[in-house]
Amino acid sequence: MRRLPVYLLIDTSGSMRGEPIESVKVGLEAMISSLRQDPFALESVNISIITYDKDVKQILPLTPLDELQLPEITTPDSGPTHTGAALKLLCEKIDKEVHLSTKEQKGDWMPLLFIMTDGKPSDLQLYKEMIPEVKKRHFASIIACAAGMSAKTEPLKQLTDEVYSLDTVDSTAFKKFFKWVSDSIGVGNRSIGATDSLELPPPPPEVNVII
Amino acid sequence: MYRKKRAIARPIEVKESFKETARLLDKAIREAGVPLAEREDFLKWTIDSLWQSFRSERMNQRIIIENEIKALGIRLPNGTVKTDYSSTFSLPLDKISDVRLEGADALGLTLIKSQEDGTFTICGKPLKPGDFSLKITYATVPGEPRSQLLIPVAFNPDPRSLWRDIPTDKNIPYPKPDTIAEYVKVEAGFDGSPKKDMVAASRRGRSHAQEGKPRDDHFTIFHCPASDWYIMAVADGAGSARYSRKGSEVACDTVVEHCRERLTDNLAFENAIKIWQLDPDNREKRTVVTRTVIDIIYNGALKAYEAIKRTAFTADGGKLRDYATTLMFVVCKKFSFGWFLASFWVGDGAMCLFDANRKTAKLLGTPDEGEFSGQTRFITMHEIFRDPDMAAKRLRMAVVSDFTALFLMTDGVSDPMFETEKNLNDYAKWEEFYKKLQKGFPDDEIGGVDLSDDNPKAAGQLLEWLNFWSPGNHDDRTIAMLY
Repeated sequence: MRRLPVYLLIDTSGSMRGEPIESVKVGLEAMISSLRQDPFALESVNISIITYDKDVKQILPLTPLDELQLPEITTPDSGPTHTGAALKLLCEKIDKEVHLSTKEQKGDWMPLLFIMTDGKPSDLQLYKEMIPEVKKRHFASIIACAAGMSAKTEPLKQLTDEVYSLDTVDSTAFKKFFKWVSDSIGVGNRSIGATDSLELPPPPPEVNVII
Repeated sequence: MYRKKRAIARPIEVKESFKETARLLDKAIREAGVPLAEREDFLKWTIDSLWQSFRSERMNQRIIIENEIKALGIRLPNGTVKTDYSSTFSLPLDKISDVRLEGADALGLTLIKSQEDGTFTICGKPLKPGDFSLKITYATVPGEPRSQLLIPVAFNPDPRSLWRDIPTDKNIPYPKPDTIAEYVKVEAGFDGSPKKDMVAASRRGRSHAQEGKPRDDHFTIFHCPASDWYIMAVADGAGSARYSRKGSEVACDTVVEHCRERLTDNLAFENAIKIWQLDPDNREKRTVVTRTVIDIIYNGALKAYEAIKRTAFTADGGKLRDYATTLMFVVCKKFSFGWFLASFWVGDGAMCLFDANRKTAKLLGTPDEGEFSGQTRFITMHEIFRDPDMAAKRLRMAVVSDFTALFLMTDGVSDPMFETEKNLNDYAKWEEFYKKLQKGFPDDEIGGVDLSDDNPKAAGQLLEWLNFWSPGNHDDRTIAMLY
């Protein structure tokens, strides 16, 4: 069966500890239940979650939506944000988990990437090196979200044209953001194919477009 | 004798032992220096505190067991409503007993204890979708209340129950009916021999119906009574291109009209085919035929491209890529030596000459598919016509004595039915497909198509058949066949 792989990269650095990360969890849960109401998503969406702080972990390998159970998300007290290392792990996982078409096997839909951060990459050198690698992986769309006032949008803009920001990192903002993510996944499901760029639904007022 | 003796002996023994215990207790209290007046208070206090610590010890035991059970981290896989669910886990039966699943009936589940290995299985068909907390209760230490364990579980809705069928807004540019079917009955020849008929059907995909979006696929079929040529075209408008429904329509109509015009009274072409077939290995004779085929087929495709371009540019701010569509078409005619066919194919889907008698299934080209699903080529891409190997890749000419059916279908049908290119080249898969077409899908209450000669009902039957269920495959579905 053709899968729509969706990769979520979530910043779990120390500054996310407490309310912000709890809000992300609430947002993720709402996103999963909303996607489960979409018959197309239920049969094709596969989700993977990679968290990054000083360590980078794939806490959820690419899993079909109907089998998905959200794992625990933990945050350290403090420390750097290894966004570059997260992109590196992402590329490794894409190469391993996403199926390309062959004569014997139907390929997956082009994958989607959502990356969320409340700061900036601490490993900027690696981050810059990984950008062309990520682009080689042919994502149908890369959507970056700078959450909160200290999040830097500049590095994200090097990764994608689709950069959005959230003024606050509370549960209302994340709920709205992930609702929009799930709507975007729904669109991705239906329109990938003819054109390279994916037309996203308009973001809610809480999600600002960064030009 | 023996029994009687014991029955009498016992009370005396008990009495003696009780007396002895009381004596020892009395002695111990005296020796501890408890004054006689305070004896009762002391005994009461002793029993009370012992009872307290006994109870707290018992409670601690229960809590230790409860924590142990929690630490097992039992997680249940997600289920789907109305679908068999079964999940097995084990519990330490040396520590707990009388395990029950509370409120099981309301969920449509039961808890079964295996007599062999002491494992438990939760099974049944979940009744309601959503996130639930299953409440398992069990007994631990006698005298303690029953313990409970909450296990979260999610039941997915049945995807089939979530589809909506929203009619397409009639006021959009280039409206198109959500479904269409057509049967072309070709009367028997002068000698009374039956002739092959054509049937085609096209149905909006569930993913489009879900959002009230129009059907992007198209087909056009035509039989010319005078020349006896059959012409069939099928096109799949790109899902993400705004006006691809118009692109597919223009593509089909343009090629069919072009071929019709070129094949009418074209005795020169028909004679060239006949002459070639008297001497099939003669390259020159073949070349004469090929030249006309290129004129008809290649120019037909090119005309379709240009017609779409014109449509796009006459519309306000129209872009060619908004009309992106695949295209496959075939012309064929029965001669005394057999059937002559010529075809063109750009994009995905499948075009196949199926012969059940000779057990062959010949694809009339190669589907254009990319690394990822949904990637293909379109007739609206100019590079298609710039490719020097275009004719070799996309044009096909064939002569066969006879065949069972000639199929043209969009990927909405070929993906769920064949899935891979390997399967598309496998005769057995086509045989299976042909059976499915006639038998339908009884489990889903979807009927088959009666493919006997001169059955106009086949059109409606084919349209119904296109409603088949296949997880993840909900694109527009179009199929045209000559049989």
